Amino acid sequence: MKPDLKVTIAGVDFANPIMTASGCSGYGEELSGLYPLSKLGALLTKTITPEPREGHPPPRTAETASGMLNAIGLANVGVDRFIEEKVPFLRKQKTKIIVNVGGRTVDEYVTLCDRLSGLDCVDMIELNLGCPNVDEGGMQFGSDPAMTERTVREAKQVCRCPLIAKLTPNVTDITATARAAEQGGADVLSLINSLVGMAVDVQTWRPVLTYNRGGLTGPAIKPVALAQVDAVCNAVNLPVIGIGGIADFRDVVEFLLVGASAVQIGTTLFVEPDAPLKIVNGLKQYMKEKNISQVSDLVGRVRKY
Amino acid sequence: MTKPVCADAFLIRQRNLKNDYYSYTFGPFPGVEQCRPGNFVHLRLPSSDVYFRRAMSVTSVDKKNRELEILFRVVGRGTSILARYQKNDPIGILGPLGNSFSKPRKKEIAAIVAGGVGFPPLAYFAEHLVNGGFDPKRILFFYGGKSASDIIERGRIKKMGVRFHPMTDDGSFGRKGLITQGVEEFLRDGGNQRVRMYACGPEAMLRAVDDLGLKYRVPGELSLEAPMPCGIGVCLGCIVTLRKGGYARVCHEGPVFKIGEVLL
Ligand SMILES: Cc1cc2nc3c(=O)[nH]c(=O)nc-3n(C[C@H](O)[C@H](O)[C@H](O)COP(=O)(O)OP(=O)(O)OC[C@H]3O[C@@H](n4cnc5c(N)ncnc54)[C@H](O)[C@@H]3O)c2cc1C
Ligand SMILES: Cc1cc2nc3c(=O)[nH]c(=O)nc-3n(C[C@H](O)[C@H](O)[C@H](O)COP(=O)(O)O)c2cc1C
Ligand code: FES
Repeated sequence: MKPDLKVTIAGVDFANPIMTASGCSGYGEELSGLYPLSKLGALLTKTITPEPREGHPPPRTAETASGMLNAIGLANVGVDRFIEEKVPFLRKQKTKIIVNVGGRTVDEYVTLCDRLSGLDCVDMIELNLGCPNVDEGGMQFGSDPAMTERTVREAKQVCRCPLIAKLTPNVTDITATARAAEQGGADVLSLINSLVGMAVDVQTWRPVLTYNRGGLTGPAIKPVALAQVDAVCNAVNLPVIGIGGIADFRDVVEFLLVGASAVQIGTTLFVEPDAPLKIVNGLKQYMKEKNISQVSDLVGRVRKY
Repeated sequence: MTKPVCADAFLIRQRNLKNDYYSYTFGPFPGVEQCRPGNFVHLRLPSSDVYFRRAMSVTSVDKKNRELEILFRVVGRGTSILARYQKNDPIGILGPLGNSFSKPRKKEIAAIVAGGVGFPPLAYFAEHLVNGGFDPKRILFFYGGKSASDIIERGRIKKMGVRFHPMTDDGSFGRKGLITQGVEEFLRDGGNQRVRMYACGPEAMLRAVDDLGLKYRVPGELSLEAPMPCGIGVCLGCIVTLRKGGYARVCHEGPVFKIGEVLL
């Protein structure tokens, strides 16, 4: 039996359920020097904003126990240069491309969806509704269910491809924003974005990051992410993409079992850029051992107490 | 642009150079073929005490046996783990990464300025120049440290036949004083020879070399350090501020930058 890793989400076919996470694979150029991007289920771009952004001053990353803090501040080339300089490269890649977008206002999200969703190489758009590292937009949108619903609804009206709402974990009840995104018409949900965190240098008494706080990511957050994905999968009737601390195929299986249809790999790419290849192989081996022919047969099969 | 390789290799040889300095040779590693002086490798340390890889400059390569050497000093968690490595232990290597030093012009003097653990990439560079036929007498090797034990691999430097100018803060080896004082004297009194500087070392030293370059209108290159989550340009974490405005990634646009390019 040859294990079948193909998954279909909102009508889009992916070669496997392993995607990169936004902000952790640039615009794909660097990773493509290490292996063909066709090995990935999908490549997610860094969050694209209307204007180019330099991001916050350094230091803006720090190592933590089993993970890291970052306050990059949505540094990106902006939508014009993205279309001019990055899309020609992305067009040539034999993988699905999901463009992540972020705005300060609902209008900005709408404009970005309008400009990007019609491009031939863009298979899906992901709305970043929860970056902890910017003063405006992002997190406010993602932590307020009403704003989440409105942003998704208006973006959906102009979006010519399936739309993913990426949720922030920095809320009291993530199922409330998840339902709001569903109400707004999202085709898919993805979660989680990074958790707000902080570190202080005991010699200088200064925060380690110049933005004072940052987003915690990596293996340290996996149990939190898994619990939130589990909660959301039980609360909505949409496909869910699980994100947070995934480092090997076992982590992927956990997310699939609680109900995720696919996963994104973020921070792990920094320490093991070829992790997606190893995970795909590990997953195939696991499916053989468990006599599972379709990877989708694992989705939601957790045997809860 | 180099095409990095991500693969496992083994610790083939280790030398303890005293005062917490070590030389490690790893192999076989397919990326060796493309290594250039200035490049670094990103090492995966199998321990729950460190999460990120650690960047180490390549200090020599043996292309035939596909081996590469690094030199490091134990300063923190990562380097402590590395120091406990045993022969034949496996290690994940990602590299070569980053850009490389550019060659001095024919008539130029190459003034190499190494401070402390800034030595490794410059040793590779000097050896590469000499092996490539560059007159070793046109290479000035300034090398500064706190005291005698910080000036490692002296035999290796002498063997290259370069003009060696060691200096220590306490005068226990070479001349007493800061290395940048020695460099400034040379630039001031050197007449009208054309000079190009190549520096790697602590931030304060790099800042001083940058100032000297601008003051005496001497071109050159500085190899910088920054904490590096990914090493391949995707996380945007390792940035420095450019004088013309904006940021550059040390791992991707660097680690080698022109004098005057970066706000230090
Ligand atoms: C491009 C590049 C090339 C490099 N090449 C080399 C090399 O050839 N040889 C080498 O030994 N290192 C090199 N480094 C530095 C190396 O990557 C590590 O940062 C350094 O060895 C400290 O790692 P650690 O895990 O031991 O310290 P950590 O546990 O990360 O830090 C512990 C403490 O040491 C301090 N510290 C960090 N770095 C230094 C340092 N360089 N000197 C003194 N204190 C420090 C930290 O501020 C911290 O307080 C290079 C770095 C870069 C970016
Ligand atoms: C350095 C860095 C930059 C990130 N940038 C973005 C971003 O631009 N947009 C976004 O939606 N998420 C961003 N994220 C969050 C990730 O996409 C992901 O949701 C999060 O890191 C959790 O997954 P992980 O634990 O696998 O990294 C970033 C994460 C990191 C570590
Ligand atoms: S270390 Fe990630 S961009 Fe340089």
